[in-house]
Amino acid sequence: MAQVHVTTREGEVRTLEAEGGSPLMEVLRDASTGVEGTCGGMCSCGTCHVYVVDEWVARLPERSEDEAMMLEALEDFVELRPGSRLACQIVLDDDTSGITVEIAPAA
Amino acid sequence: MGAINLQQLLESQQLERCPFPIPAGWFHVDFSENLAKEEIRNVYIFGQEWVLFRSESGQVGMTDPYCPHLGAHIGHGGKVVGENIRCPFHHWEYDTEGWCKKIPYGKVAPPITKKQAILRTLPVVEKYGMIWAWYHPKCEAPSWELPYIPAIEDESGWTGDRKGSWTAHTAIQEIAENGVDFAHLKFLHGAEAIPPAEVNFDGHIIDINMANGYIVGRGYGPGLNIFEFTQNGVSATMISYTQPIDVDKSQMNMSFRHKDYPEGSQELMIAKKIVDHMIGEAEGEESAGFESVDFIVWNHKKYRPNPLLCDGDGPVLQFRKWFKQFYVADEDTLAKI
Repeated sequence: MAQVHVTTREGEVRTLEAEGGSPLMEVLRDASTGVEGTCGGMCSCGTCHVYVVDEWVARLPERSEDEAMMLEALEDFVELRPGSRLACQIVLDDDTSGITVEIAPAA
Repeated sequence: MGAINLQQLLESQQLERCPFPIPAGWFHVDFSENLAKEEIRNVYIFGQEWVLFRSESGQVGMTDPYCPHLGAHIGHGGKVVGENIRCPFHHWEYDTEGWCKKIPYGKVAPPITKKQAILRTLPVVEKYGMIWAWYHPKCEAPSWELPYIPAIEDESGWTGDRKGSWTAHTAIQEIAENGVDFAHLKFLHGAEAIPPAEVNFDGHIIDINMANGYIVGRGYGPGLNIFEFTQNGVSATMISYTQPIDVDKSQMNMSFRHKDYPEGSQELMIAKKIVDHMIGEAEGEESAGFESVDFIVWNHKKYRPNPLLCDGDGPVLQFRKWFKQFYVADEDTLAKI
């Protein structure tokens, strides 16, 4: 099992557990944290935008071109931070277990 | 190589009528006048349905029917909006090149829509008063351009509005192969003799000269052939543009043109007779045009990948090798051709 610590838009702090290998987006979506994940993980809807806490930013793989383009498009609507990521592009596994994220505002 | 496979000759059940995929190339879709501005029409060609439309400014688009969003058939209930075609389901709009130009409710357009076209469209040009589409099974860009045809493109000096369209229940390669099968002209068509002929291949072009200039033909890929027939110094031109409707069904289309000879002249009479002869059986001609005799063979034959040929047969195998360049398929499929 892998863990994620999440702060919802309402400021609630929760710790979720999931099967290792799950996309972070699905874990957050299925726990009703405010993540919609409408497009299913194709970087085409931007509804799984999260802020990864500073100490985790460098530990994640680089953003893909598609992810970067979507985040750029989101910038017209919400604040972007260095830790801005699409949760659908992060796999929750042994390497990422314990990650802390905050759900970004809806666009 | 080298030996005759007797088993193959004796047993025909494993032979197929049409083992060929749809070839790549430029193909006639329709006449330009048949598609009005803001019109949408579903057409079946290249083994599938397509949505043909003309934008407000007159651009023609030919798209895959199914919306990349949720799969609605754009040709049933879709609408032309300015330069775009609009899907009826959620009003996503696409231009003639398949770029998604509008999603009327999403705040953030999917990034891929900025990077590339997402609806499959075929490259289209309007030429000779017709709509032509480039078909390539892997969506590659056109590798050659349609030629200039004086007989149909020059504003003056040419005339003739005869056209024909026939359905053949076979693949386009089988139809074209008759162009290099000179022996059949004597036996199937009843020509006086097997005409002497010369064939040359150059890239996507095939040149045929039959009976020392009586018929001079040039083919441009699988979808366009131009034949000039000359008798007593008078010429008539047949422009042939066959469509691969399906792997085993082809629509043969032809336009017949000749020089604008004066009314009542001997030349005009000869030109008209040549045209009659191209299509069917002309009065006083000893051999039959294709309409009356070729279909019975095309509609029932099987394709022999390893035919038993004899001396006197035309360059059938060279033709097949040339035609193979238009197939984009896996090795097993190509091996059957």
